[in-house]
Amino acid sequence: MSAPRSGVAHARHVLTENPVTLFAALLFALLVVLAIAGPAIVPYDPLASNAAAALQPPSAQHWFGTDALGRDMLSRVIVATRLDLGIALAAVAASFVIGLPLGLAAGYFGGWWDRLVTRLSDTIMAFPLFVLAMGIVAALGNTVGNIVLATAVINLPFYIRVARAEANVRRGAGWIEAARLSGNRDLRILVVHLLPNALPAAAVQVSLNMGWAILNAAGLSFIGLGVRPPEAEWGILVAEGAQYIVSGEWWVSLFPGAALMLAVFTFNLLGDALRDLLDPRRRT
Amino acid sequence: MSDLPDPLLRVERLKKYFPVAGGRGSMLHAVDDVSLEIRRGESVGLVGESGCGKSTLARLLARLHDPTDGRIVFDGADIGALPAARFARSPERARIQMVFQDPTDSLNPRFTAEEAIAEPLKLLASLGREALRARVAELATQVGLPAELLARFPHQLSGGQKARVGIARALAVRPDLLILDEPTAALDVSVQAVVLQLLERLRRELGLSMIFVSHDLNVVRLLTERVAVMYLGEIVEVGPSDEVFRSPMHPYTRALISSIPGQGPRIRLQGEARSPVDPPASACRFHGRCPDGQDRCGREKPRLVSVGGRAAACLLAANRVSSSA
Amino acid sequence: MNAPLRARGSAPNPPLLEVCDLNLEFRTRDGAVQALEGVNLQIRKGEIVGLVGESGSGKSVLSYALLGISDRAARITGGEASFGGIDLLRADARVLAELRGREISMVFQSPRTALNPIRKVGRQIEDVLRRHALARGSDLSRGLREGAIQALREVAIPDPERRLNAYPFELSGGMCQRVMIALALACRPALLIADEPTTGLDVTTQAAVMDLITGLARERQMATLFITHDLALAADYCDRIVVMHAGQAVEDAVTGSLFAAPRHPYTRRLISSTPGPAGSISSLAPVPGNLPDLRRTDLPACRFAERCERADERCRRIRPLLGESQAREASHRVACWYPDAADAAGADPVLAGREG
Repeated sequence: MSAPRSGVAHARHVLTENPVTLFAALLFALLVVLAIAGPAIVPYDPLASNAAAALQPPSAQHWFGTDALGRDMLSRVIVATRLDLGIALAAVAASFVIGLPLGLAAGYFGGWWDRLVTRLSDTIMAFPLFVLAMGIVAALGNTVGNIVLATAVINLPFYIRVARAEANVRRGAGWIEAARLSGNRDLRILVVHLLPNALPAAAVQVSLNMGWAILNAAGLSFIGLGVRPPEAEWGILVAEGAQYIVSGEWWVSLFPGAALMLAVFTFNLLGDALRDLLDPRRRT
Repeated sequence: MSDLPDPLLRVERLKKYFPVAGGRGSMLHAVDDVSLEIRRGESVGLVGESGCGKSTLARLLARLHDPTDGRIVFDGADIGALPAARFARSPERARIQMVFQDPTDSLNPRFTAEEAIAEPLKLLASLGREALRARVAELATQVGLPAELLARFPHQLSGGQKARVGIARALAVRPDLLILDEPTAALDVSVQAVVLQLLERLRRELGLSMIFVSHDLNVVRLLTERVAVMYLGEIVEVGPSDEVFRSPMHPYTRALISSIPGQGPRIRLQGEARSPVDPPASACRFHGRCPDGQDRCGREKPRLVSVGGRAAACLLAANRVSSSA
Repeated sequence: MNAPLRARGSAPNPPLLEVCDLNLEFRTRDGAVQALEGVNLQIRKGEIVGLVGESGSGKSVLSYALLGISDRAARITGGEASFGGIDLLRADARVLAELRGREISMVFQSPRTALNPIRKVGRQIEDVLRRHALARGSDLSRGLREGAIQALREVAIPDPERRLNAYPFELSGGMCQRVMIALALACRPALLIADEPTTGLDVTTQAAVMDLITGLARERQMATLFITHDLALAADYCDRIVVMHAGQAVEDAVTGSLFAAPRHPYTRRLISSTPGPAGSISSLAPVPGNLPDLRRTDLPACRFAERCERADERCRRIRPLLGESQAREASHRVACWYPDAADAAGADPVLAGREG
């Protein structure tokens, strides 16, 4: 048995142990930088149209070419990072904060709590999730806020399910009984004891959901729900470029599409790394 | 049963029934009409095989479960009446503590050893931060846990070390009664010896009362003064440990002792224990497997009958005051 | 180093299983774990041998290596193991598959997890019979069913025709263990390896299961290797006991002799730390120290050296071999440079009174 590593040393170990993890972390860092500093570092104003330079292929002045209104594609793709990441983050955070406690309570208490929460979760999952999201946005109004809400709602069952499973497995454990013997009441057991144990599994879920949430937001925008032009968002950019593929101007859709793919790919890879970071068992 | 004044714990006709899923009102009699007394500083063993109810009884006494019926009186206070959820904050909570069977399962994998031991102190004793750390260090020394291991997580500790953490945690709030549920069952034999000696030393030094639940009769004999044998939720024999082992009165006890390796000719029991669901109200539950059973054992339910300082629930026990094992 | 045993004149009963100087290691991320070192073992036909040790002693690892079912990270780095002339360590996979279940069988520790939970018990026995084509009669399926019923009957399961259709979760622990024994013995193997078959069972069930195994072993003259951490249990049922510590076999003796006069310091401590029917808690003498970390590259030659009060330089540098110190007694061999004398008083007179 060996001594534990400190938090920082552990983080460093996780990153260097697996090259894939390091790669994912670097990509993630890149995305974050682009999201935060995007507007400041782009070569052109993403909204500035220039009819003379419309639909130019990639070149030295416009690395990603220009779109139908002459706007620089590189700038638009970079600036869109902030919106896409922002929507996904907000939605996943909302799902997490609401779904996790509900799931933990359902798994720990059982009984009617469990039945109530499971029915809610089942109801949501009964719908094809993208269609449900469409319905919510269509009903509530075509705003970015409603995209976040819709994405949060359809992701809820994943967190409920993960938390419920983690709580259920552990509710009969010796250390839960020991916690009661130490004077813990149920609420404190849920928060102080069960929640930290459910976090590693939930973290993997977060990462997968982020990728999915980005796709979801882009998909809604693609069909015209949510983000509206001239806002730059990867889904909208793909939609704007879709009509030009046939006529040979492939770059208008391809680069936003590639950015989308890269983002989802990064989050999927990150899932395992996040779990390793959070699990004390890996700390040796 | 003794009627010396002022027992620390008095259990009166305790019952715990679980409803059986799917059955129409069928109940599983996990603990059935159990009465027992523990005096201050006394160590009592609770033995029996799986399904006899000893673990359920231990958890009832530790107030992790609520009884279906009966009373639990601890130092004069009826603690059975309060629901388990509320008991967590009552003053008696700190006076009854428990050590669990599987040291790995009984420690939160995300708590360090120090955090695990400190938790009851945080919740049940109002100590400042410095006093808390000092007390944890004191407990670690008391159970023989090297101080540098306090910062470790359970998966970085050996079985024996985890067992010590569990014991330190149980002793943190200075309980009067310590309930031990098979504390050494999951340990290697040489580690077990060390932990048993530790428990014996602590018992003497701290004047603890102990309830020692185990299926290992040799271990129980070493650490307890009195022993109660359970079968299908009932106590079938009680008495001083040495005497019960030397000359058991109940046929089940006799069969149990003869099954220990090295105990001479084995008494073979037929079949398996009957189901604890809806047991017959007017028959001995051991009837059918009992090597000495007679017809009336199937018609009459034996009560715990005292003979000298011992008691056995057997209709034929009255004839056996001092039989050889 | 095994030579003394066989060279001792004509052995009327040559060993069925012979393990010679076996070394096994596990390749892990943190280095190689030297799980077994220089293990010698022989079992003769009809003999019941107990392999006793604590967790980490290598007893289960040894049995898996013999059957060729070791973990993928395991590597045999030396030694031999032969069964009826077949080299178990280097044999072709097909040869081993034929042996398993037919000539060498194994009973595992937790019966409920060792049985397939979604397959009826009768079918599982029929699987074994079918695999080794031992059904009799022209109607194959009826022959298999009869064979399965017979197997269940032989392990004293009441009402075997009905029990054929039971799933493992419907049976008690003791029953499941009997089913596993039936599975193992269905093809009448010559060697049975029982790996902690009664751990987790009640003491009365344990006695019944052990009686069953040893009864069948005697009846069929089947060699049995009985692996356990429970010394008293081994004392009750085994003809001979081999004590293992940290991957090394340290003592190999006829049961009575082992308990009457244990010669290895570890064996002595193991006996005296086991609670028995007599003695008080202060008479328990636990084994000092801890099991050495088997990943170390600087392990002492005798792996008990760091826990032993008699250890000296020789113990740390040169490994004592089983049987080297005393040439005379084949029935009691010890791997120690300073063993207790052969006639030293035993640790437990009660256990010593038992013969085989």
